[in-house]
Amino acid sequence: MDNVSSAAMVLALPAGASHDPPESAGAASVAADWCFRGAGDRDTRQLNDALDSLGVQHHESVQSEFLLLSAALLGRNLPETLDLYADIVRRPRLEDKTFEPCRALVQQDLASLEDEPSRKANLLLREKFYPAPLGRCPYGTAGSLQTLSAEMLRKDIQGRLSPRGATLSVTGAFEWPALLDHVGRRFGDWDSPSAPPIRPTPPAGGITHVPKDSAQVHIALAHRATVVSDPRYYAARLSETVLSGGMSGRLFTEVREKRGLVYHVSSHYHSLKDHAGMFTYAGTTPEKAQETLRVTVTELRRLAEGVADDEMARARTQLKSALVMQGESTGARASALVSDWYHLRRLRSLEEISTAIDAVTPDQVKQYLRDWPAKDFTMLYIGPAELDTAVVL
Amino acid sequence: MTMEFRHAQLDNGLTIVAEVNASAASMASGVFVRTGSRDEQPVVAGVSHFLEHMMFKGTERRSPADVNREFDEMGANYNAFTSEEYTVYYGAVLPEFQARLLDLLCDIVRPSLRQEDFDVEKGVILEEIAMYRDMPRWRVFESLMTQHFGAHPLGNSVLGSPESIRTLKRDDMMDYFRRRYSPGNMTLVGVGNLDFDAFADKARAMCGAWEPCRADRDLSPPAATGTHHVLRDEKVAREHIGLISPAPSAQDPRRHAAHLAASIAGDSTGSRLYYALVDPAIADEAGTAYEPFDHAGLMFTFITADAENAPRALSIAREEFRKLRDEGPTDAELAAAKNKTASGATLKGELPMGRLSAVGFDWLYRNEYVPLAEQIEQLFAVTRDEVAAVLREYDMTAFTSLALGPVEAL
Repeated sequence: MDNVSSAAMVLALPAGASHDPPESAGAASVAADWCFRGAGDRDTRQLNDALDSLGVQHHESVQSEFLLLSAALLGRNLPETLDLYADIVRRPRLEDKTFEPCRALVQQDLASLEDEPSRKANLLLREKFYPAPLGRCPYGTAGSLQTLSAEMLRKDIQGRLSPRGATLSVTGAFEWPALLDHVGRRFGDWDSPSAPPIRPTPPAGGITHVPKDSAQVHIALAHRATVVSDPRYYAARLSETVLSGGMSGRLFTEVREKRGLVYHVSSHYHSLKDHAGMFTYAGTTPEKAQETLRVTVTELRRLAEGVADDEMARARTQLKSALVMQGESTGARASALVSDWYHLRRLRSLEEISTAIDAVTPDQVKQYLRDWPAKDFTMLYIGPAELDTAVVL
Repeated sequence: MTMEFRHAQLDNGLTIVAEVNASAASMASGVFVRTGSRDEQPVVAGVSHFLEHMMFKGTERRSPADVNREFDEMGANYNAFTSEEYTVYYGAVLPEFQARLLDLLCDIVRPSLRQEDFDVEKGVILEEIAMYRDMPRWRVFESLMTQHFGAHPLGNSVLGSPESIRTLKRDDMMDYFRRRYSPGNMTLVGVGNLDFDAFADKARAMCGAWEPCRADRDLSPPAATGTHHVLRDEKVAREHIGLISPAPSAQDPRRHAAHLAASIAGDSTGSRLYYALVDPAIADEAGTAYEPFDHAGLMFTFITADAENAPRALSIAREEFRKLRDEGPTDAELAAAKNKTASGATLKGELPMGRLSAVGFDWLYRNEYVPLAEQIEQLFAVTRDEVAAVLREYDMTAFTSLALGPVEAL
């Protein structure tokens, strides 16, 4: 990329939460921390200090399919940073003494969800919506975390930290031949068996009320959508934007602006390799919850009646503009490249995406919404009282 | 990347500043207003923030729906936020929309405040207050600010209370608006790929007729209370602990040293609190941030822990602050803090949206423009002695504390 001095990298390892053995769900989250507790000839503190002294901003995230190790840094520090990451994934120390705090931190993450009901609602919804174990909560359960031992996890994770099915994406200030050469030297002789395939079972679905004496009712809804690799993907994204892009989106207009029912209401598209959904969230006080649910579901359904030309034009501009701005950020581009490679086995240029967005017609959006209608909702809500959910059925 | 700083001022006092970067793919602009909860009388608590919402509700020329639609027609990345000291309205767009973005931003800050829109939006504000009520971290922050600053206006709540919002009248808001949104109290900021002459001309055409008035701020120095409270709420699962102690102000040259001191004490990786609390899993979160204010400042530390570990976490944090105060940082710690901060500023600085707040607040607080490279130079020039001096002068162990959660006493 021109005009930047930073670089960003994402190393996507096929070690996400769905690969956790059922009896030790949460293993990937513990492993994500454990790998940073000393690697190669550095102990925890030496490794941390090495990353800090290179000014590396790093972040580990456990998703359904992948464990993502992300880093943002100054481009000139890229080779040394790659050296450290080679140690982290190839030679993590995984010592007994550092296991316990890693597990305890994930146990605390899980417990913290009780104090973040909106996040909890969205995580639990995924678990119900996606075929199991694809939507699994990355923190596992209190029981599965308790079962996990250093020995179990060491065995499990060594099989999963594998170059097979892994992707490294790098964006920003670097020279390609030098990068290839360096990665070849550090990762070229890395080998390890590939992770066994996941065999998902049908999702639980349904409507779930999680009682809690909270100030707001946190309503989360999901319905099925097409996947990224489907040609109708762009129609799905345009429908998402008409529904929930900016402040002129239909949900924001109808639920918040006209009726003052909520502070937050939104829908977003999310896709795994073979399954995808449109996820909607609204937070509202108990006395307004019934009306919020009704208006929200009505808007989700009404979209299939068609999208006006001006809404389409706006949605196109929003998506394309977001694309250009994302193109300025090395971190955002690095994540997008990993996603492209996983879903499509190729990289899309910003021009290609832009052209594809322009090519979608209102009729195609309408057709898409007929093929993938807002029905068969999976719903999960956290709040004091039960809601009448007839409108969802 | 070549950056050019430009500056202009209208006769009515409105200041225009810009950092032009012709190689950027986008441009961002913001209206920075020097007003927030510290400028409110208690009877209108929350009016700054409520008014921020009302700015999206239309003007003489635009309906509420027009405002939202026009931002989206440009594909803008836009929003607004209100703090104790300022209210900011901003948008980032592709350069071709420069004139249109300015037209919209400069128009909405002269709102109609229609009664009907005011009534609907009141419901949204009350929902926002309820939303934060479900976030213990936020409850700690708001209550702790009030506890720390006592009667000083910096302790005012940004959101206000359900009661103050319910009783607030549209005319009270109009009165506040007239007193605070004077052109002399506002700065129009632009960054990225923009044409400055056109930018300034448009601003002149849009804002030149705004009537100025005096908009003063009470800058009397706050006195920290240093009190310790425990708020028991068994509905909260974990213990959320907030600590606040005084720090250099936004105008103080020691602010760079304070920033590095906060990073050494409580950055999310490699800091004193990280090794003492998070690494051994006594707390799953322990972080310190330096928050500069107008002629005041504070260090804010936030810790979450299980109930059984909470007392220990708090005493360890205090002990770490004491050691850091008495012994000062090591050279290696200082170097790491500088590298992390410089790398963070560089990454942020590559996006017009990231530079917008830096350029805006440099001007708001200090009437100065500091290019990113110079900001990083200033940071690297800070010595170990300077950081140690800040840590001694602003003793982090002399904190005001508030704990919220299942624990009865700490």
